[in-house]
Amino acid sequence: MISYIIRRSLMAIPLLFGITVLSFAIIQMAPGGPTSLMMDPNISSEDMKKYEERYGLNDPIHEQYFTWVSNMATGDFGESLIRRGVPVSEMIMNRLPNTLLLMIVSTVLAVIVAIPFGVISARKQYSLTDYTVTVTSFLGLATPNFWIGLVLIMVFAVQLQWLPTGGVATLNAEFSILDRIHHLILPAFVLATADMAGLTRYTRSSMLEVLKQDYMRTARAKGLKENKVTYKHGLRNGLIPVITIFGLMLPGFIGGSVIVEKIFAWPGIGLLFFDSAFQRDYPVIMALTVISAVFVVIGNLVADILYAIFDPRIEY
Amino acid sequence: MKQKSLLLIVLTLVLSLFLAACSGSNNAGTNTNNTNNAPAGENNEEPAEEDEEATTEPVQGGDLVIGSTGSPTMFNPLYSADTASSAIEGFIFDGLLTSDTAFETQLNMAESWDISEDDLVHTLKIKDGIKFHDGETLNADDVVFTLSIPLSEDYDGPRAGYFEKIESVEKVDDLTVKVTLNAVDPTIHIALGYPILPEHVLGEVPVAELGEYTEFNTKNPIGAGPFKFESWEDGQFVKVVANDDYWNGRPYLDSLTYRIIPDADALMTALAAGDIHYYTVPATDIATVKEWEANGQLKVESGLALSYTYLGYNLRNPLFEDKKVRQALTHALDRELIVESVMNGDGEVADVPESPLSWAYDEDVPRFEYDVEKAKAMLEEAGWTPGADGTLEKDGQKFEFTLKTNQGNKVREDIAVVVQEQFAELGIKVTPDIMEWSAFLADIDPPKWNFDAIILGWALSTDPDPSGIFHSKEIEEGLNFVGWSNPDADKLMDEANLTMDRDERAAKIQEINRIIAEEQPYTFLYYPNAHHAMPTNLEGTEFHARDEFYKINEWWLNPNTEN
Repeated sequence: MISYIIRRSLMAIPLLFGITVLSFAIIQMAPGGPTSLMMDPNISSEDMKKYEERYGLNDPIHEQYFTWVSNMATGDFGESLIRRGVPVSEMIMNRLPNTLLLMIVSTVLAVIVAIPFGVISARKQYSLTDYTVTVTSFLGLATPNFWIGLVLIMVFAVQLQWLPTGGVATLNAEFSILDRIHHLILPAFVLATADMAGLTRYTRSSMLEVLKQDYMRTARAKGLKENKVTYKHGLRNGLIPVITIFGLMLPGFIGGSVIVEKIFAWPGIGLLFFDSAFQRDYPVIMALTVISAVFVVIGNLVADILYAIFDPRIEY
Repeated sequence: MKQKSLLLIVLTLVLSLFLAACSGSNNAGTNTNNTNNAPAGENNEEPAEEDEEATTEPVQGGDLVIGSTGSPTMFNPLYSADTASSAIEGFIFDGLLTSDTAFETQLNMAESWDISEDDLVHTLKIKDGIKFHDGETLNADDVVFTLSIPLSEDYDGPRAGYFEKIESVEKVDDLTVKVTLNAVDPTIHIALGYPILPEHVLGEVPVAELGEYTEFNTKNPIGAGPFKFESWEDGQFVKVVANDDYWNGRPYLDSLTYRIIPDADALMTALAAGDIHYYTVPATDIATVKEWEANGQLKVESGLALSYTYLGYNLRNPLFEDKKVRQALTHALDRELIVESVMNGDGEVADVPESPLSWAYDEDVPRFEYDVEKAKAMLEEAGWTPGADGTLEKDGQKFEFTLKTNQGNKVREDIAVVVQEQFAELGIKVTPDIMEWSAFLADIDPPKWNFDAIILGWALSTDPDPSGIFHSKEIEEGLNFVGWSNPDADKLMDEANLTMDRDERAAKIQEINRIIAEEQPYTFLYYPNAHHAMPTNLEGTEFHARDEFYKINEWWLNPNTEN
């Protein structure tokens, strides 16, 4: 097992290297640059050139790449081109807590709702409950996040005034946990809806598969109660494929929440990525790309390891 | 139990689907419920009868929350290039000169401004006793220091252009500065009125490092403006508080919170909920905000914005070489209809690259009113005749082109469709191409000029000089994307920039605009309006086309008028 983890981690190095080359090339190929946003008759082209020179934006691409890679290898992500002088790592660290908070809460919420409903749906296949769950999850999958988000804001924040319209905390107020939770409810719920729907469907089909197995019949024949059969024997096996999904959800921590963060003015990593892409703030884009690539690799690894833990039949 | 709550969720979702579908344009909640748990500082009750005894004397107090979709980048006016940063810099810093609602230059922190006979030497006297936020006195050293930064070889910010005609800046005495120019510059008031930076804080920092000096630029900017910087929460808000020692009297508002909500729709809901008090509403949302105004939730101050939108032709393309063709295209486009239908009447048709608000504006220019028959006749004169498929042809070339504009600006996207339809009537095939902003700019910027025609807008400066966009020296690397070159206009622009005489300049600029209108390098579309939404009890505001926070130190919230 240990040797397997080491082997997998070593394999990730060339993979990550490839990812950096590719993303660097793609981003550089995107038209425009940090200066193309300075469209103002009062800004002279000489000024822009000076700025480009200063940041080496006109150097050959491979040189730019090697400068960047060698800095990154020493853990230096450089400084933002748009927010001059601000270290990229600081910008990311500023926002990471917000993203993690939102992600963890919404994932937990999704799991709490999805797995029970998935199991019930599977147990009572073709019942009214099953259809209701199915229809709801398809609705959840089909309705775009920004729409659900805006509708919920209209209802709960504008009409009923129970919840804030957005932000992470009340302006000019003392820090309080309650206030934070208050601000977290809507964005976490909206973010959870998509995951919820997917997880419910996934759990359902996986459980249906398991409920048909011979060992389930054996368990019933032994005279075990149906609940015990389902939850002790069935669930454990039924959740194995679902775990893979978690591993694959990890990279979504960075990109998956852009829309929700935008609507709820929730300053997280997704929004930073989005803004930087539009402003062509290369150092920030690259840093986030590398971090998400690392997440993808780790996510896959974690999924495989969890698989081994939950399913003794798998040997590495 | 679980099933019940689930059903509830389903029902809510389904219901809201129907609600949204039925309510159409009204789904941006009109606030009819009186609630008592409205956010602090705002209560959304029915407007009370105007109180006869209402205070007319300004009172101190209150926090005004300003909404913005853009995030600032830094607070140093010599280095930032975005509007959010500029707005906040306007609260923190102050300059020697300012411009009023008619764009006339006025003394601000300057006691006097004397100009030599030859217009080359400008002597500015600073008002006595002005203090920076840290208590240090603002004197000639600070002015010399600030104006010298862009003159330095090492300066790498975007603002050197304003200062390029300055030869030297000298201190005469503690409160007097002498600025000598190497050529007459009628726009020098912009440089002379630039926000003053504190020499005692930044004097030791090498100019090459000023742009990245975050200690000042992002953590602790110090100016002499009406508000002091307090905090900046990245992606959330910037807070500034009243400067008790402001030279022009303490602002009435205790503080301003500049709140960032990146999504325009979400910002509107925050305005509806009272989480945002002041917001410059985009044209697309103005109908909704007008409804809220009718309900007494807020009030709106409107006026002509200092900008225009145009349809520009790439003159390098043989299709648009002939002036007659361009005039015909303008004739073929119903710009009144565009303003009426696309803009909901929220603007005015434009004919020149100059705002009607400017002292250099003159309506006596060649105009090309909507007249399809005339357009057809002119195109025929120019040699374009319908081919077999109805498309206009000349020498075997078909009249078809791509019209590029940027994504996310609904008005421009709609105009592209109107242009496509109206030009089709003449037998001209237009293909709209809606592009991501940066990609669009990269395409039209030098040296690519990869476009046939574009829809874009220009924000105008308070000075009417058109040379930044229409002078032929701006073709190679500047903003004259369309490649318009006219020796007469060039000469007039050079002359207009070499005199301080207002009437002479106005006459020359009007002449330039007549040439531009005649030549039609652009089909000028419209001047949009700007709308500032604000609480009904905000008083002391005055609409300024260029500055949405004009004289913000005189704004106050009236506690006696129920909001």
